[in-house]
Amino acid sequence: MQKIIIIKYGELSTKKDNIGYFLNTLKNNIKEVLIDEEVNISLDIGRMFIEVQEESIPKVVAKLKKIFGIHEIIVGYKDLDFTLDALKENTLKLLEAKDFKTFKINTKRSNKKYPYKSMELNNLIGSYILDNKKVKVDVLNPEVIFNIEIRQKEILYYDMKIKGLGGYPVGTLGKGLLMLSGGIDSPVAGFLAAKRGIMLEAIYFESPPHTSENAKNKVLALATILSEYSAKIKVHIVNFTAIQEAILKNIPNDYLITIMRRMMYRISEQIALKNKCLVLINGESIGQVASQTLTSMNCINAVVNMPVIRPVACYDKLQIIDMAKNIGSYETSILPYEDCCTVFVPQHPVINPSLKKACEYEKLIDYEALIKEAILNEEIIYVPLKEEAKYQDIL
Amino acid sequence: MIYLDYCATTPVAYEVLDTINKVTKEYIGNANSIHSLGRKSRDLLNSATNQIANIFNVSPNELIYTSGATESNNMALIGVALANRKKGNHIIVSKLEHPSIYSICNHLETLGFEISYVKNTAEGLIDFDDLKKLVRKETILVSICAVNSEVGIRQPLKMIRQIIKKENFGTIFHSDMTQAIGKVSVNLHDVDLASISAHKIYGPKGIGLLYKNSNVDMVPLIYGTSKEENNYRPGTPSLPLIAAFSKAIRLANNDLEKKERFITLLNDKIVNHLKKYPHILINKTNYSIPHILNISLMDVMSEPFVYALEKKEVYVSTNTACSSKELSTSVMAIYNDLNRAKHTIRISLSSLTTTDEVNRFLQIFDEEYSKLSNLK
Repeated sequence: MQKIIIIKYGELSTKKDNIGYFLNTLKNNIKEVLIDEEVNISLDIGRMFIEVQEESIPKVVAKLKKIFGIHEIIVGYKDLDFTLDALKENTLKLLEAKDFKTFKINTKRSNKKYPYKSMELNNLIGSYILDNKKVKVDVLNPEVIFNIEIRQKEILYYDMKIKGLGGYPVGTLGKGLLMLSGGIDSPVAGFLAAKRGIMLEAIYFESPPHTSENAKNKVLALATILSEYSAKIKVHIVNFTAIQEAILKNIPNDYLITIMRRMMYRISEQIALKNKCLVLINGESIGQVASQTLTSMNCINAVVNMPVIRPVACYDKLQIIDMAKNIGSYETSILPYEDCCTVFVPQHPVINPSLKKACEYEKLIDYEALIKEAILNEEIIYVPLKEEAKYQDIL
Repeated sequence: MIYLDYCATTPVAYEVLDTINKVTKEYIGNANSIHSLGRKSRDLLNSATNQIANIFNVSPNELIYTSGATESNNMALIGVALANRKKGNHIIVSKLEHPSIYSICNHLETLGFEISYVKNTAEGLIDFDDLKKLVRKETILVSICAVNSEVGIRQPLKMIRQIIKKENFGTIFHSDMTQAIGKVSVNLHDVDLASISAHKIYGPKGIGLLYKNSNVDMVPLIYGTSKEENNYRPGTPSLPLIAAFSKAIRLANNDLEKKERFITLLNDKIVNHLKKYPHILINKTNYSIPHILNISLMDVMSEPFVYALEKKEVYVSTNTACSSKELSTSVMAIYNDLNRAKHTIRISLSSLTTTDEVNRFLQIFDEEYSKLSNLK
């Protein structure tokens, strides 16, 4: 018997003609994540098999838990001996190492030529275990459900299933640009978008000296957390100081945020187009702040033609916080650094901005030139940064 | 100087010393501070821990930094015993442990725990049948060192684990791996808890770690924080030592087998040379690793002999540095010969040892031995 990791796909099985594309993307994503391991990945009907050194299995499973497109992760055993005796012996051997009182054998026979039916096998193997180990059968509520799958080429044995993240493999649906602010919502938005198979790039607006280097590092840390679920993330860092100062100087206070957001949308769309991103993604949640009312969204969204996805639009803040905790971004998100959107918040921002007024006010600044310059000077950082390279001399 | 006491401690490797200097100077922030200096330190700390976790194939949150193996042993044995008291009060250790394990066990006995000492075979291996008999329902912990510090016996940890878990699945298995790391390859997945020290692998003194599988219940021995991450060892992390430790582990794990082959040659050379003396017994079995060579000088007191060699700038020890004044419990456990256990000399070798050093050592050894043995 060989210890092996088995992957089940779930939602992917709804795909028909292009399932091969989805599976190959998933396989490549897994390979990318396990780049440091010696792995052998093979595709089969309804399953993917990952062979690694036994010691590496816990580490590999922890990584697989963060890959979209996986429905279930199973650590089981593969064997090529189809005889009934082997089935009995292998089952006993695997169950002997476990501590339990009640169990049930659950056989599946996708190889219909196999001479015994599933129910017969359950009985035969179950009674062999009863003869050899002091345990009882409980078909309703067993402590251990031991699965045996009789497949065309091999037999699989397993009892533990670990739930995967589900969703589609990242990259199968193209690329999107995530507006990453450093708050709680945008990383969650990125996570949800990635879950639907969107490969992420991220954009962050910094405004030194009003925002600190810490704020930027925090956003990179958040992008790094997201990259564990997707792949390498290209982070576009745009210096927003000149635009922000121009807005502060020239725009009436209540429209500061509205105009600032319109500028950010414009820049994001241009960078998205340049980088072949098909959508913008952000963490706006309806009604959360003044710039996220429906009228504000209309007024701000009007500057772009590209679809804007707001994955957390309809969630409560508490739900979003729960998701952030599960993703692992919450602790980083709540670090107390000012970002662009929070440094100069007016006392009373307009809640229902008018598109007409916004367009009028914008004429007060030469934003086209400023935007062009900001995009020209963008800084690009890929996360995750390679650790060894980072501390080569020290570690 | 000829240093042949590498099992007591090792000199700090040049590259490791560099790291201590650099990190002390450049990473002044407290890794628990939230400002940029603190975060810079925290980032390095995380990378250092990740590197160790990767080398040993475990998760970074399963590693707890301590002051060294003695503290790790305390944390493991006492922490697990107190946390699992409701499940039972029985603990098993071998007769080949480091003295710290026995001191801890004595303390645990005063707290109401029962200690059993598992027998070993004449070859020094754990007696599997005896172990099987000893493990029972109340057994909460077994502690067996990976490599014995006096005679260098290497235990088959995987097999021992299987025996323990078959008898009682809930029994926790700890191993003091201090003398194994950097000498032979180890697999932390063979055990639930493992103690490791930096100063035996050319790292600094004052830093070690305890590997604790995330499924093991353990209570902390010292308190000082509400943060979960360093729950077991609160306080400001010693970043220079931790970074140095991480580097030392990485360096020590390079070319393990090649180094071992070289050291085997040196060991053989010494053994072949000493064979000519009828009153010198070689305390070595098939399971001794070559890095540790234990001999008994039956006609010479070992302590004066160590001092005599020292005058010629040759440094060896009687048994472990932690119990130098007593008889060798390990030699006693294996050979059951009081005289033999009283007269031990431990020579420990490193890949830094040269053939010239060994030749010179043997020459001095001959001179001093003939002087002292003629006194009788």
